[in-house]
Amino acid sequence: MVRSALATKRKIGKGPVPGAEIVPAASVIVAILLSTLPIVAQTGWFPDFGFLILIAWRLLRGDVWPSWWAAPLGLLNDLIGGYPIGFSVSVWTASMLALDLLDRRTIWRDYWIEWALASLLILFHEAAQWQVSAWMSAPVPFSFMFAPILISIAAFPVAAWAVGRLDLWRLGRQ
Amino acid sequence: MAAPSGPRPGWSRRAQYGLFFSFIAAIAGLAIGLVLLAFSIAAPESFKSMKGLALDATAPITEGLHAVGATVGGLASGAGDYWDAARQNGDLRRERDFMREQLITARAIRQENAQLKAALKLREETPTAVAAGRLVGSSFQSPRRFAILSAGTDDGVRIGMPVRARQGLIGRVVDAGSFASRILLISDRASIVPARLLRTGQAVIAQGRGDGSIEVKPLEVGRNPFKPGDLIITSGTGGLYPPLVPIARVSRLDGDNAIALPFAEPGAVSFAIAQQPFEPEAMAPLTEKDRELP
Repeated sequence: MVRSALATKRKIGKGPVPGAEIVPAASVIVAILLSTLPIVAQTGWFPDFGFLILIAWRLLRGDVWPSWWAAPLGLLNDLIGGYPIGFSVSVWTASMLALDLLDRRTIWRDYWIEWALASLLILFHEAAQWQVSAWMSAPVPFSFMFAPILISIAAFPVAAWAVGRLDLWRLGRQ
Repeated sequence: MAAPSGPRPGWSRRAQYGLFFSFIAAIAGLAIGLVLLAFSIAAPESFKSMKGLALDATAPITEGLHAVGATVGGLASGAGDYWDAARQNGDLRRERDFMREQLITARAIRQENAQLKAALKLREETPTAVAAGRLVGSSFQSPRRFAILSAGTDDGVRIGMPVRARQGLIGRVVDAGSFASRILLISDRASIVPARLLRTGQAVIAQGRGDGSIEVKPLEVGRNPFKPGDLIITSGTGGLYPPLVPIARVSRLDGDNAIALPFAEPGAVSFAIAQQPFEPEAMAPLTEKDRELP
């Protein structure tokens, strides 16, 4: 009895941490702030950290935030990341709406489907970025976007893992 | 795993309404985002104060982290300099002797140039440096090429000013906060610099390609005038960029054009200098009087 009680690390009566409801949005803000890292690169191949964390949370849980929260978060990303104002607002909110609609249709969900959905959203994000750049008189060939798309898709599982750990911590299930 | 049962929150009318209103709010957010984006595309100047504020808010983080990174990097490369120092020393000495000869020739040419200009009564204002700063960050997440300069309107930096380093041209200021500003690098696709081929003096145009290199196009149709290794310098046409600033070195030919690599690599330059536009009169926006003229 004593031995089995000591063996488990599960803490009885441990609940969610205070402010568990805003932990997801706060983690997205931290990810947005990562774009202030002092990296002076000649190519824009890094993934958009804020977007990755946003869709990782949304794919993990359907009720993580009201969909419209994506709009102010996107505005913050536009301001800090130097995107044209309104770009992340539209793309992030559109992604949340698309996932809301998709949730009504999906019957089965597993890790591969989530990764595929994330890849589609990343493709949409980068294609929108490419199109907006073209409209702002900076038309680069679409082949330039392959590398950042592949890097973002490969980086999604890392974001999903981090978000999963954070979710366990905020709900006190560790 | 079966999918979650969807967003339907049971039979509570209140919860159902809450969900519905959040859906409506998200659609409204999307619409607002699209309107803002349309403004950003049609009138890029429209949010400049907001962008300036955001630059000021994040610049201390970037600059602090940059200082840490520079210190660590300096320790590593400082240790590396001791490796093979004797051979490097010899190489540098040979290079110095060669440069000394070149320097004397250049001095003579400069003197001659000044005399000729005086004879022609040519008045040319040298553009004055406004502020110096470090390049502390960049748009490493997007296909556009921007960098963050650690100097802003408090130092006299204004939107539209050309920015250069000792090695060559960097770009121009597109957003300015109080103590940080955003630079459109010459390797961005939207950056077009009137330039000149140093070897022949032929007028060319240097446009960024978005991946750190620059596409150089001749203005006149004809044979491809470029050779690998050619130097491209600014021509001063258009009044923004001062003339005779090195831009790039041609690395390979591409059809009628050439691909060149910039001299001033934003990641490697230590200081960047914002300057007055070469001919401010040419850059000034049209006044009401000008507009009335057909």
